[in-house]
Amino acid sequence: MTRKLVAAAAALTTALTVPALAQDRGGVLNFARYDGSTLIDPIYADRNPDIWMVGSLFDTLLRPSDDGNSVVPGLAETYNVSEDGTTVTLTLRDGIKFSDGTPLTGEDVVFSLDRARNADLSPWAGLLGTLDTVANNGNEITLTLSAPDPTILSMLATFTTGIVSKAAFEAAEGATDQEKSAAIFAAKSAGVGTGPFYLCGFEQGTSMDFCANEHYWRSGSDGKPLPYLDGVHFEIIPDDATRILKLQAGEMDAAEFIPFSRVAELEADPNIDMNLFPSTRIIYSPINTRPTRADGSPNPLADERVRQALNYATNKQALIGLVLQGAGKPMTSPLMAAATQLATSTDPLYGYDLDKAKALIAEAGLEPGTEITFTTLAGSADDSTIFAALQQMWAPLGIELKVEQVDNATRGAKNRSGEFDIHTYGWVNDVNDPSQVTGWLGYFPTAKAVGTGWENEKFNSLFEASATEMDSGARAGQYAEMQSIYAEAAPLLFMYETPFAVALSKKVSGYVQTPLGNNLFEEASISR
Amino acid sequence: MATIQYILKRLLLMAVTFFLVMIIIFLLVRLLPGDPAIAIAGDRASDADLAAIRERLGLNQPLVVQFWQFLSNTVQGDLGRSILMRAPVIDVIASRLPTTLFLTVYAVALSVLIAGPLAFVAALNRGRWPDAVIRTVFQVGLSMPVFYIGLILLTFLAAQLRWFPVGGYGDSFSERLYHLFLPSVAVALYTSAIIMRNLRSAIVEVVDAEYVEFARAKGLSAWQILGRHVLRNALISTVTLLGLSIGNLMSGTLVTETVFAVPGVGRLMLEAIFARDYPLIQGLTLTFAVLVSIVFLMTDLIQSALDPRMRLT
Repeated sequence: MTRKLVAAAAALTTALTVPALAQDRGGVLNFARYDGSTLIDPIYADRNPDIWMVGSLFDTLLRPSDDGNSVVPGLAETYNVSEDGTTVTLTLRDGIKFSDGTPLTGEDVVFSLDRARNADLSPWAGLLGTLDTVANNGNEITLTLSAPDPTILSMLATFTTGIVSKAAFEAAEGATDQEKSAAIFAAKSAGVGTGPFYLCGFEQGTSMDFCANEHYWRSGSDGKPLPYLDGVHFEIIPDDATRILKLQAGEMDAAEFIPFSRVAELEADPNIDMNLFPSTRIIYSPINTRPTRADGSPNPLADERVRQALNYATNKQALIGLVLQGAGKPMTSPLMAAATQLATSTDPLYGYDLDKAKALIAEAGLEPGTEITFTTLAGSADDSTIFAALQQMWAPLGIELKVEQVDNATRGAKNRSGEFDIHTYGWVNDVNDPSQVTGWLGYFPTAKAVGTGWENEKFNSLFEASATEMDSGARAGQYAEMQSIYAEAAPLLFMYETPFAVALSKKVSGYVQTPLGNNLFEEASISR
Repeated sequence: MATIQYILKRLLLMAVTFFLVMIIIFLLVRLLPGDPAIAIAGDRASDADLAAIRERLGLNQPLVVQFWQFLSNTVQGDLGRSILMRAPVIDVIASRLPTTLFLTVYAVALSVLIAGPLAFVAALNRGRWPDAVIRTVFQVGLSMPVFYIGLILLTFLAAQLRWFPVGGYGDSFSERLYHLFLPSVAVALYTSAIIMRNLRSAIVEVVDAEYVEFARAKGLSAWQILGRHVLRNALISTVTLLGLSIGNLMSGTLVTETVFAVPGVGRLMLEAIFARDYPLIQGLTLTFAVLVSIVFLMTDLIQSALDPRMRLT
């Protein structure tokens, strides 16, 4: 299997041949964030507010395609996977420079990938687990793998493989890698990445500034280098209402994480462009499938039929109406959002059917008045609504739903130790490949199938086989089978997918939040 | 001389208080359910990652060892490193504290400016309509939560009328006065309501007192009576109340700073608690304790200066 892609960049060619349209250039975009970054480094970024910013500062060898289902050339002009799937060769584009003007070389790539796969440094090293050696001959990069890896190209388009300048990194103050990384972050100067922007201002927990990288390699629709903006100014405003007010008052040009209850109101606002970007985010509830509960009592949810019944008795469309004011859709794959590669569509996945649910409950012999505890996040209005709705929806099954309110850290600990019946959770893909979410939700050896304790040998072996399956058709088949097994066993209450709600001023165009959540400003512009 | 002795004694007492505060907060933070390692690494982290984080942060040490380290480091002025902010706790607090102090002082000043004159108007018109109006308005202010008042102010005065910025805190002194006006008002409404009520009844009480009757009989003018007798005496209990409410004000900043997007230590405290950032929670609590103790000490000193009958013991 040989995939050879020359830098066709069709979009770019079209843009160059068509007479350039008037394109707004310059200006600073004011962006209101719900939470701040603490460190933007391809390998130390571990929270979404960090991860989603990495791409603006650090380019990767490959880039996700616009539809998110494949990759296209990035810093590498061409790429090629060998017949046996164990060697990847890439050629860097000529003339790429870091934001301080120094040229990008093959050594920078080797340095960056070696750093990214170093388990002593990076929490994400596992994503590059098959990478054996990285070498370069000038601009030619050769990766050898210990086993065929169908995800390797997606990984080369993932934030953690962002390319950093070896020279800038080594020159930074500090003895350890962590210290150097922090020093680079604190220095707020150009030089360390080849992304469209560089970090030029930072106040912990308050604000952050990106300045345009004048050496950026991609061109805009007017034939001149991107980005269109001079910079982006971020302000951290955790309160939803305040973020929206700042946008409405014109102090900000964009506000992210708009609560869904406010979407309709903002859609009606003539000065605001309310965006619902497709995402890979799913909201689901892990169900404890262990034979006994943590206190030793028998667990009624260990019976597959009970879990199926709960799914049938849950009116997802009603939940979406209540919690998201309609801005979402029921999950159609049991393991991932519809926007993820290899997602199969089972529509409806456990459509609302109370009779079927009652029949399953009777078959399982569940005692009327059985108590089940639903663990929710204290202070979360969404969780309270979900609880109240489920309590009603499940009452006809003879289930008495009790609530237990905890905070995020406690919920994580309970999930890990199995001290729960059902709780709420969510997921957004970090990688442009379904292996990550599938490993998290279903594969027992890594995280006990998202803490549910569900273990299925067939599923596990399919997952293991798919990790080295280079034939995309065969791999899709394995994923389809895993999804069918998972749907049947129902270790989750399958709920819904939600978009990323970002409200922009009408003056802003070209801003994108990808299905993985990454904030893309490189083609954003603003008319003043 | 007595004053200096008194201050020394109070400082010694404060040291004891801080020691107790440290023990309590150290234990409380660790009694919180939830694991800081998970809070840092996220739910997806492997057991090995979590173990490594606990090792790095010393969370796997016995509590006594952890407390001894906390204590000895604190005495040496080292509050540790914030897990969330990846920087020394002292630096993180130092960068945020001035904003909160500015907000608190501003709110106190506004409270006094609002409550003082109105208390006089109400007291001197006792039982008539100005008194009723003022008392009713403040009663409403007292019963509304700060975040709600804040949102109302923001929606009308900032977002719609655009008289004020919606958030932020400005760079120069005048910009800060402008940016922090609405948050200060939101906080001040509550405090001024308390002060107004207290000051009004104090004035009423003094006005009725025999020595004022006597002064009036002596032929002193109304202003002389007000300045020499009424104000001075009414102020004593108000100063106490103001001192006490500063402690309240500081805890109020948790809400105000979040609603008004003001990056001070109040908002920082919330972030630290959610992230189970032990060193930062400890450092902030200690900072609050120190500030409140200083305010209480100053209150007592001012009180004794106003009223020579109060002995410093």
